[in-house]
Parts: sequence; structure tokens; C-alpha cells
Amino acid sequence: MRALVRPAQYAALAAYIVFLGFPLLWLVSASVKSSGELNSLTVSLLPQEWHWENYAQALARQGLVGSTLNSVLVALASTALVILIAMPAAYVLARLKGAVRTAGVGWILVSQVFPVILIILPLFLVLRTIGLTDSLVGLALVHTTYTLPFALWMLQGYVSAIPEDLEEAGAMDGANRLTVLRRIVFPLLAPGVVATAMFSFVSSWNEFFFALVLLQSPDNYTLPITLSSFIGGEGKVALGPLAAGSVLAAIPSIVFFSLMQKKLTGGLMAGAVKG
Amino acid sequence: MKTRGVSIAACLTVTSLLATACSGGGSGDGGEGDDGPVSLTFQSLSDQPAAIEATESIVAQWNEENPDVQVEIVPAGWDGIYDKLITQFNGGSAPDIIHYEAASIVPFARDGYLADLSEHMSEERRADIPEGILESVTVDGQVVAYPTELQSYMAFANRAMLEEAGVEIPTGETMTWEELREIAQATTSGDVYGLAWGLASPTATFMAMAPQFGGSYFEGTGADASLTVGEGEMALPELVHTMAYEDQTILPVTLTQSGGEALASFYAGDVAMTVQGSYQAANIAADAPEDLDWVVLPPLEGPEGAGQAANPQTLSVNIDSEHVEESARFIEFVTQPENLAALNEADALIPATTSAQELMAENLGDENGWSTILSSGQHFTSAPYLFVDQYAQWKDTVATPAYQRFLAQETDAEQLATQLQEGWDEITM
Repeated sequence: MRALVRPAQYAALAAYIVFLGFPLLWLVSASVKSSGELNSLTVSLLPQEWHWENYAQALARQGLVGSTLNSVLVALASTALVILIAMPAAYVLARLKGAVRTAGVGWILVSQVFPVILIILPLFLVLRTIGLTDSLVGLALVHTTYTLPFALWMLQGYVSAIPEDLEEAGAMDGANRLTVLRRIVFPLLAPGVVATAMFSFVSSWNEFFFALVLLQSPDNYTLPITLSSFIGGEGKVALGPLAAGSVLAAIPSIVFFSLMQKKLTGGLMAGAVKG
Repeated sequence: MKTRGVSIAACLTVTSLLATACSGGGSGDGGEGDDGPVSLTFQSLSDQPAAIEATESIVAQWNEENPDVQVEIVPAGWDGIYDKLITQFNGGSAPDIIHYEAASIVPFARDGYLADLSEHMSEERRADIPEGILESVTVDGQVVAYPTELQSYMAFANRAMLEEAGVEIPTGETMTWEELREIAQATTSGDVYGLAWGLASPTATFMAMAPQFGGSYFEGTGADASLTVGEGEMALPELVHTMAYEDQTILPVTLTQSGGEALASFYAGDVAMTVQGSYQAANIAADAPEDLDWVVLPPLEGPEGAGQAANPQTLSVNIDSEHVEESARFIEFVTQPENLAALNEADALIPATTSAQELMAENLGDENGWSTILSSGQHFTSAPYLFVDQYAQWKDTVATPAYQRFLAQETDAEQLATQLQEGWDEITM
């Protein structure tokens, strides 16, 4: 019975991976199918004929490469800003006691309840006043602001999980507050930072509405805006090129995740506190 | 070492962003230098590669012929464009020339965002636009846009399947709904159905074709409009229901699909006919199996004629533009017959002017049924729903779910009529 447990675990894991990966596989499959096959009743993962011209059409589409670069810049900048601001703030929120902390946490939650459509017009006017509409800097700031509350919430959970005993032990060994943070807290926080960075990156990478409204020049368009142009009026959709564009667009995101996922490991604190 | 790498990457990102921000320059604001040419921004929603090319070609020709008025295309997508425009209008950054559709510009016109083009529209153009189409862009007596492109609903048929069933392909100027029903009955056999009709979002279709049965749904305009759900309005939904469940000639699954999705059954030979937006002629030509011999049937006609409510794509001018007159001149240029025909050929749509329809018919001949499709262009009538303030809300929250329940046999015709009326009363109370 026990011998069957491990294979069953692997089988369940494989099924889960297939479940998660199938939409991506289907996307890749659609990206090399002809329009006729995509609109037929014949359903198969492998295309009847391989139509690589979908990729050529996607690349020929105005600004796909440029908008990918814009998305990379905005997502990286907003992720960096979110982490820079959220790390110290999360530490304070997690360690602080009393009314200020309650008010801070309450504000984080309240800030999540406003629908985007409600804030877009005042936001547009504010950004226009400071000359940051139609600007990637403006968009990166908006993404930072929009992602920050949840990132803060996420990160303070990770900080809370670090035993205060570790900090006290460091202090007893003569480390000052800054050293404790730098040598003990921040290294232990690494998995949380990585998870939060991934969340921030994906939020910015996929964000459509703010980019749609704030960006005016095609040169500044981000990827979701360019990809949306494959969906036309009167219900027309260039499905093959859209799938090809989406596959190409996923590459930077996959690279970012491959680099980051190695850092996303838990168990760093195993055995750190005894007794 | 790794930390240093991350820091360098972060610095590079921020530097790149700042450089982009400094060099971006933003979109044109419609202004000009003291002595320079007038610059106009034209927010275009052209989405198909051929349409983008046609638009660029027209603009390039204009720019060459009019060095004192230069037009810059600002491409945008249909997705989310209403929200983008409303923000642009409120934020004072809307483009000079706006591409959109009649159903959506009426609220903008009522709110005072669009210039009155009545005086700018030439007599030649005005006379060239069929009355019903011109009415669709006339708000409170003001022409607020030039109509450019439209679609009509047409029936497409598998010629071989009709002939096998002993049906003579209709060739008249129009075809009655009774004929369509008879052909559907004649071609339904075993697993094969007579008709596929993608009615996942049925409201637009029922609204567009209601005039053929004397239905108008709405009387009055703005907040004073009233809804009537009578025989004329109920005729088409009831006919579809009868064909689907009494005649059993409509493939049931297609009633839950979009028009494009329903085409798959047509390609597979599971149905003999399909009702689609006319633009699908281009997709059928591209995607249908090579051995599928298909034909466009004549425009459908009800007891009150072959009229279909017009909801054309439009070109309008931002009322805050410093160059309304120049913008209107540019739109006059775009709507010249040869330009409008080129745009519509690229988009597989029907031009909004008679002369462009004739030119396109001349260019395309009977290829892919275009002569038949273009003949439907003269049957467009005004669409009262365009001018009703609460229409969009009623459509999304009341009408579409009510029609879907009716087509799924969850409610009967009487309940449908009651739900449509009571839903409207609730919204407008």
C-alpha cells in the first residue's frame, strides 16, 4: 500500500501540471493553425498543417516588439518600486503594535475596494497636470500605486512569520537595528520578496485598463493594448495571429519567472530557532 | 555580486523609462506652430491589416495634397474604446477626428462632446447617404458624424445541399422569411439541420431586423423614450423559436454561439444555411473548405419590407478641436466614393453612401456574393434605439438575458414580452 503512495503522488502532480499547462499548449497549437482549421468543428491539439505565417503576421502587426519592450520596462520599474517601498513598510506594519498599525492595515484593505473605473478620471486629470499621461513613467507609477497595497499585505505576512526571537538574538550578539535588518530579516524575507515581485510583475504585465486610458501614442503602447488590436469591431478576431502574438508576448514573462522561481524556496528558517 | 546585478538592471530600467518619458513627446494636441501646418489627430479603429493599409494610404494621399493640413493617425482598438474616449473628452485630450459607431457616439453628442457637422457636410455627400443611414447620425437635428461602413444580416447557403433537397436557389431582389423557413424545412433531414444562427447575443440582431415586421421597440428619444413590445417586436424572436423547436430546423447549439462560432457547423456541412453579418462573406471565402460551394441568398424581407436598422461606423469631430472645419474637410475626403469603397473592401463591409456602394459593386462584381450583399445597402432604415438614453443598460441587463431564456425554452413568448417591458419600466422609473 505504502509503495503505491509515491506513484500516486506523481500521477496527481502530473495531472495537475497537465491541467495547468493545457491552456498554454492550446495557445501554442492555435498559433500554428490556419484560420479555416480554427473555425472548423475538427478539434485536435496537433494542427493539420503548420501555419507559421501567423507568427509573421503577428510580428508584422504595428508595434508588437516595441510594445513588448514597453511592457518589460514598465513591469520591471513598477516591480522594483513596489519592493523598495513595500519591504520597509511591511516590516513596520508587522512589528508595530497599536492604533497606527490598525489604521494602516485598515487603509490597505479600504484602498482595495474602489473600482478602477471610479478613480480613472481623477487619476487621469492628476497625471495630466504633472505631465505624466501618455508616459511610461506615469504608467509605472500608477501600476506601483495600484499594486502596492496588496504587495504590502502579502509581504507583512512574511515578515510576521519571522520569529522576533531571531532579531533579539542578533541584538544580544551586538548587532544594531540596521544590521539586524540587513543580516537577519531581509535574507529570511527573500522568498516573500520574490513572491511579491512575481505578483507585482504579473499585475503590471497584464494590466490593460490604465494603459488603455493613459497612453495615447502608439509608441508608448504596452503589450495588452497592442494584443487587443487583434480583436476588431463587428466581432472580428484574427485568432491565429492573436495566439502567435500571445505566445511571443509570454516569452519575457516566462524568462522572468524562470529566473525568479529558483529564489522562491521556503524552509530557510528550518532549525533557526530551537527549543 | 547578484545584488549588484539586480541593482544595475533596476538602474537601467529606470534610466530607460526616464529617457522614454523625456523623448516621448506625447500625442499631437491638434495645435500648430505660428507658421506651420495645421496638425490633426485621427483616432482610427481600423483593425484588419488591409483596412489599416487602406486608411494609411488615404491619409498619405490627403497629406500629400494638403501640405497645410497634416493628419496623424493614432491607432486604437475597439476593446475599451468607450472608456478611453470618455476619459479623453473629460481630460481635454480627445483627438480631433474620432472613428467609432453610431450607437456609441449618440451619448457623446448629447453630452456636447461632438461638433455639429451639418454645415460642413457637402450637399453632394448628404444626397449620397441613404436617408435611414443619415438619420442614424443625426442627433437633435444636428449631423454629428459622417457614416462610413455598415453590416447587414444575410443568409448564406450551401448550394449543393439546397440542390440535393430539390430547392431552387432564390435569386430575386429579396427573399421572404417564409421562403427561408421552407428551405430550412426542405433541407433538414437526419443529423443535418436547415439553419445555423449564432444568437448568443440576440438583442442587436432582433433590433436590427425588427423593422421588417413593423417593430420599432422605441418611440421618442433621450430620457423621454418609451418601449413598446408588440406583435412587430415579437415576430422575429417567435419565428426563431418556432423554427428551432417546432420545425426543428435550426441547429439548437448554434443559438448559444456567436455568429463566427456558428460558421463551423456550416463549414462541416451540418447545416444548409446560416444567418450572419454580411462581413462574414470574407471569412467564409477564406476559411470554408475548398469543396464548399456557397452562395449569398437575397436580402431577407418581412411583411413590412427588407429594412434593417442602421448602426454605421462613423467619423466625428471633437467639439474642442481648434480645427473643426479642417477636420470636416478631411472627413469629406475620406468619404469620397473611391476612398470609402477602398475602406469597405478592406473591411468587407457595406459603404454608407450610394455611390461608394455602386463603385464597390463595380469593382467586386458578383465575387463572393458581394453584389447581393451590397444590394442590401439600400434597405437600411433609421434605428430608434440609438437615441434612447437607457438602451445600453436595458440591452445588457434585461433584453439579452430575457431573449436567451426564451431561446432556451425557459420562458414563453408572453413571459418574454413581460420581462422586456417590466425590465424597461424598472430601469426608467
